[in-house]
This record gives sequence, structure tokens and C-alpha cells, in this order.
Amino acid sequence: MAEFSAAVYQNEFLPDGGTDVNAIVTITCTGAGTAGQSGAGSAGEIIIVDTSGSMGPGTMAAAKEAAQAALAEIVDGTFFAVIAGADRAMLAYPQVSSGPGMVRMDARTRHEASTAIDRFVGSGGTAISTWLDLAGQLFASVPEVSQRHVLLLTDGENRERPGRLDEAINRATGYFQADCRGAGTDWQVAEIRRIAQALLGTVDIIPRPAEMKAQFQEIMRNAMARGVADASLRVWTPQGAEVLFVRQVSPTVEDLTHRRTPVNPLTGDYPTGAWSDESRDYHIAVRVPAKAIGQEQLAARVQLALGNDVVTQGLVKATWSNNSELTARIDQQVAHYTGQAELAQAIQEGLAAKAAGDEATATTKLGRAVQLAAATGNDEATSKLRKVVEVDNEETGTVRLKRSVDKADEMALDTASTKTTRIRKEPTT
Amino acid sequence: MNCPTCGAALAPGARFCENCGAQLGDAPAAPVLPAAAVVDHPLGDAPISAPTRKPAAALPDPPAAGRRPCAECGGEVGPDLYCVECGTKAPSERDHFEEQPAAWVGGVCDKAVGKRRNEDAMALLAGAEPGSRAVLIVMDGVSNSIDSDVASLAGARAAREVLRMPLPAGMGTPESRDAAVRKVFTDAAAAANTAIVAVTDPDSPNPASATFTAAVLEGRRITWANIGDSRSYWLPDDGTPVQLSVDDSLAQAQIATGVAREVAESGPQAHAITKWLGRDSEDPTPTVGALEVDRSGWLLACSDGLWNYASEPEELAERVREAATDDPLALARALVAFANAAGGHDNITAALARVELGHNDQTPTPGGEPSDG
Repeated sequence: MAEFSAAVYQNEFLPDGGTDVNAIVTITCTGAGTAGQSGAGSAGEIIIVDTSGSMGPGTMAAAKEAAQAALAEIVDGTFFAVIAGADRAMLAYPQVSSGPGMVRMDARTRHEASTAIDRFVGSGGTAISTWLDLAGQLFASVPEVSQRHVLLLTDGENRERPGRLDEAINRATGYFQADCRGAGTDWQVAEIRRIAQALLGTVDIIPRPAEMKAQFQEIMRNAMARGVADASLRVWTPQGAEVLFVRQVSPTVEDLTHRRTPVNPLTGDYPTGAWSDESRDYHIAVRVPAKAIGQEQLAARVQLALGNDVVTQGLVKATWSNNSELTARIDQQVAHYTGQAELAQAIQEGLAAKAAGDEATATTKLGRAVQLAAATGNDEATSKLRKVVEVDNEETGTVRLKRSVDKADEMALDTASTKTTRIRKEPTT
Repeated sequence: MNCPTCGAALAPGARFCENCGAQLGDAPAAPVLPAAAVVDHPLGDAPISAPTRKPAAALPDPPAAGRRPCAECGGEVGPDLYCVECGTKAPSERDHFEEQPAAWVGGVCDKAVGKRRNEDAMALLAGAEPGSRAVLIVMDGVSNSIDSDVASLAGARAAREVLRMPLPAGMGTPESRDAAVRKVFTDAAAAANTAIVAVTDPDSPNPASATFTAAVLEGRRITWANIGDSRSYWLPDDGTPVQLSVDDSLAQAQIATGVAREVAESGPQAHAITKWLGRDSEDPTPTVGALEVDRSGWLLACSDGLWNYASEPEELAERVREAATDDPLALARALVAFANAAGGHDNITAALARVELGHNDQTPTPGGEPSDG
């Protein structure tokens, strides 16, 4: 049985007249078990492989092998399906035209699905909205599947009229989760990130076909470890208070502020998807009406809810003090993640400016990113940034754009921009 | 040196903060670090804010149904003791409680605005008939000892049991009667001491300790007992108010050598007490005294959280006149509000019994079945 715990990191002391309370709430899940085996419905997995004409022979061969490796990771008994995606989505397995569009995994169905994948050939265009819509229909055809996860691989830009993909994303949001991967460098990071963020999944680049199999295995292994099907971050704030933002800040930065579902006038739910044995950090900022010196009050109850069951709670407090030594302190976790969120934004805005030919803005933003990555100890961001810019001075953020940059490095910087580091030091054994 | 948790000034060598109770010394809170050093700091995940403390078991908070509504907005108070509407922290039962065992006897024990928890305790007893028999017990847990809030309440309630029976009277000589009365108060202090030790962790490096003040009114006779610096006062409606108990404190020792009271009581060691109850008590025997009263007035037992702001009996009597009430609970609330308004730097307890002598000066009859608060 999964157990959850919550820890709150904050400086609760506000100066006279202070109103804004910031806290990092760490939620930890242990004993999550295996997807679909908690008794609350079954798990469903759909693998979507891009089979458009742009997939070169090498990439296609790797994608087939990777999809077959992913099948091997799906636990027996899990409902699954395989979609071949091009200008329209085709149900590659199970080969049915009506009724339930997913079957339970066992040795036979795994072998049959593998054989179906072997027959993939690249042709046609890329219409990702149709892939998402078919996945939704397949999940809907098996009502007992309550934990829905998609692994999506594409290699090219979406070729549909503007808006169609967003409509499909909206239909899928809150219904299934999707981890997305881009093969090569001809796909759009911003486009695929939009899918992954809405569908509570990850996005990454697979620059070389050889890396595809390991990535697919890892994604599917992680998905199978999510024994808690669906959870919400439930945030209560007092009457008269305003939620400034709710943000997941670890393992990645995801702004959840606008994804609030009201529970009652003072309480809202924010989606967190499925959980494995893991820890996630959330940054909550609340504005409360100021009270007199010495008063203490609750600024937020931050809970994790499985359906209507609250499984853990952290209390975010506000205490007004005239001791400036106390009120001037910024909690280390809050400071760290504020920097990491700004880092993600600086990288994305810098790369967007660079793509648009605005070199001045790109230099400023990426310079700021270099500075923040160094200050917050995000070594991965630092090394990826150094492939895109020449760093003259890390401390001041003085950089020059590199004249020739490997496209894959730039995309890797973009996809990794939301990854954060934790403030805790790794054990040095 | 200042407390790393709440910033209050610390006495040299203190092991706990007098203000917030934070442990000092071996386990200092994370120091303020420049932003650049943050990443490398091993205490990076130490929360600044202390976890919400569980209420003392002796006064468990009532279940949701019986919980008082939020004092701020009238909303429901949640199981985490914050209002579910406006988020205001509800005082726990231990932080603020009131007792009124009879219409003429009442008291308030309050955390005070400037303190993080209530280590004062109070236990009252009174006969139903006005002026019959009242027992006022006030104990002040020493805030740099561990769990003194639990200990002081356990001690006060244990002492109350000993004082439930009327004091010995009308037997033998006045001397033998005084000795018998002293024995009862010594037993009461011993019972309080035993209760404190019973709730003290045997391994506690800083065992809980507390002061002890008991004032018993039986008809016209007030008998008081004291250890430490909580006090009892007789505050007549007219005539000279008096402090009955004598503090066991460094300040009192200085006063005895001729230092002015206001100087001694504001010195750095003003609140250092020379006798206390607890596992490390050196002398748990109270000083005992008695007074026959001949007019109407108030018997007051209080902690230093009140007398800090009105030490002289005349000042306290003035506060009582200002409150202009015959209701002991209303008066206790007024005195607590006065101390809070004056700063509320320490827990405040005020317990009162009303002595009402008629114009024909009839002595009320002692006795009657006492009842608890």
C-alpha cells in the first residue's frame, strides 16, 4: 500500500505588512507497487511510433527495436495497444475494427504485437492530433483501464492546420498521460513539449538511433512502477487569500497554476498524474492579508489527494514578526527553486530569440541562464549551455553565441531546460 | 547572543531559549548563509519553521464537534487547529484555558501574545456557597526546561487533590494547628513534585521544573504556600493591599539586602528563582503563611506574567478597580488582557476568589462540598 508524506520548507516569518508566503512542499511516495495492481482498476499502455515518410531506414529500424523492447517491459496483464502514426493513426495492434481496442499483455500478445511492429514501413505525413485522438478512443474502449499512459515517438514537425493539435491535446488532458520523445533534429521541441506538459509527461531528444532502445525501456519501466494511478495536489488557502502560483519544481519545472480544478471556494486540485516511489517538490506562493505583529495563521494546507482521500498534508504558515533578522531570511529551498524556475525560462526564451534571429536578446537570456545554472549548481544545464554559448564570465553571465552549434545540442538544451537539481548534496560515496 | 530560532536575547550559557523553547548549543539552527554558499550547505533541507507542536496530552484538544469556533471569523477549526475558513491559528486548550468552579471563584491561564507555548498552569476548587472555601493553585513551568508545560499542569492538579479536604482547624494549640497546616501544604507541594517527576523523561538532560503557589480561603482566613516566584495577593476593596507570598528569587534576595524593588525586579537575574519543584529540586518545602481578613476584597494567585507589569500590590489593586467587576472570571480575563496589552512577554495566570463580607460583618460558614473547575 502506497504511503505518502509531506515536508514543508519555508520561512514563515513575514515583516509588518508583509503578505506573500512562499513554501516548498516535498511530497514523497513509498510502496507504490506496480501499475494496475493496486486494485483500483487496470493499467493501460499505448505505444505510438511515427511511421511517416520522414523516418529514415536507420531511425525506423531503431524505432521498431525500441518499441519491441518497450513491449518487453510491460507487465503481463496490462492492457496495451500499438499505434502507427502518419497523416492518420493506424491501430497496428490489436488488429480489430470494433469492440475493445486493447488487449491484455501475455507471451502470445507480446509476440503478435512484435510481429506487427516488424511490418512498419515509413510513408505519408505527420498529423499528431489523429494519433492522440485514436489513443483516447482505444483507452475509452476498455472501461476498466483507469491508469492510462502513452509513449509517443516522432521524428518530424506536425503538419496540420494550426489549432488542430491543441484541440486534440485538450481532449486528452486529464484523460491520459504521455511521455514524448523526438528522434533526430527535424521535430519542434516547443510543439512536443506542449503535448508532454499538458499530459503530465516528459519530453526529450533521442539524437542517435542507437540510444532509442534504452530510452524506451526506461520510460516503460518508469510507467510500470507507477502503482498509484492518479493523484491531485490539493491546495487550501484562507478566505481573502490569493494563490499567486503553484508550480512543480522537481524533478522538472511545470507550472500548474492554471490547471486548478475547484473543490470548494477555498480549495483547488492541481493534477499530478500517477506516482511511483518518488519525491516531488512543489513551490506554492500565496498572498494573504497582513495581520498584526505576533499573529500566526495558516497560509495554505497543501495535501495530496487520491480521489477524495487526502493521504498527506503539509501546513504553510505565516507569522508576522518585527524581528528583521527573521523576516529577511529566504528559505534555501525557496531561493534555490526560484532560481531554477528562472533558469528554465531564460533557456527557453534565449533559444526562442536565437531561432528568431534576435541575437542580442538570445545573448542576454542565455547569459543569465549560465549565471543561474552556476549559482544553483545545475551542472547538467551548465554543460548543455556550454555547447551553445562561449562563456566569458560565468559569475556575471557574460557569454557569446557560438557560431556553429550542433542542432541536437541546442534541442537537448531546450528539452532539458525544465529539469531541476535538488539542493541536497548527493552522497559522496 | 540571540536565539537562532526566534531571535530573542539569550542568557549566557542558556541551553534553551527562554522565549520559544528552542534547543540551543549542540543543535543550533541553520545559520543565515549568503546565497552563494547555499548550494554547498549540508543543512540545506533543514526547515526554518518548526513543525506544529502536538498539544499536551493532559489537556487534549476536543474533537471537531466540541471545538470552539474560530475567534477571528467564527468558522470551524480544523483538526490541525487552524480555522478552515480564515486560517487563523486557534489557541489550543493548553494555550488558553479558564476555570470557574463556583460563581465567586475563577481564573484564566493564558499563553500570552509574546510566547510560543503556555507553561503556566492553574487548578481551582471552590465550595458552591460564596466565601465558603476556595483553593487557588498556580504553577509556572520554567521555560528553559523540557516539557515544563506538561509538568506544571500535572503538578497543579495533583496538589489540588491534596487540598480538597478542609485544612486542619480547631485542634490543640495554635502552634500545633500551624504545624498541621504546614504539613498539608508540604504534602501538596510533594504531590505536585511527584507528578512533575512522573511526567519527566528519566533521560531528560534538563528536567521539567516549576514554581508553586497555593492560596486557600476558608471563611475569613487565607492560608498561602509558596515555592519560587508565583505570588498570592490580598486586594481589599478599601484598605491596604498586600503581597502575601514571598518570592524565592534572586530579586527577592536583593530586595532583602536593601535594593529597591523596581531595580531588583528589572535586573538581568530578576527571574532567576532559588527554589522550584522538579526532579532537580533541592528543597520542595513551601513557605507557608496565613492572614485573617476583615473586609471584602479579592484573593489573587498569579504568575509573574501578570505581576511583571504590576508588581506592587497597590498597582494590582488599581488594575482590579479599573476592571470594575464582581465576576472573578471577568476580572481574570481583564488582568490577562492588561498583561498582554503591556507586552505579554511571559505566560499569564490570574486566579481569583471574591471575599464578600456583609455590612453586618457576618462570617460565612466554611465547608460545603467543593467542586472542580
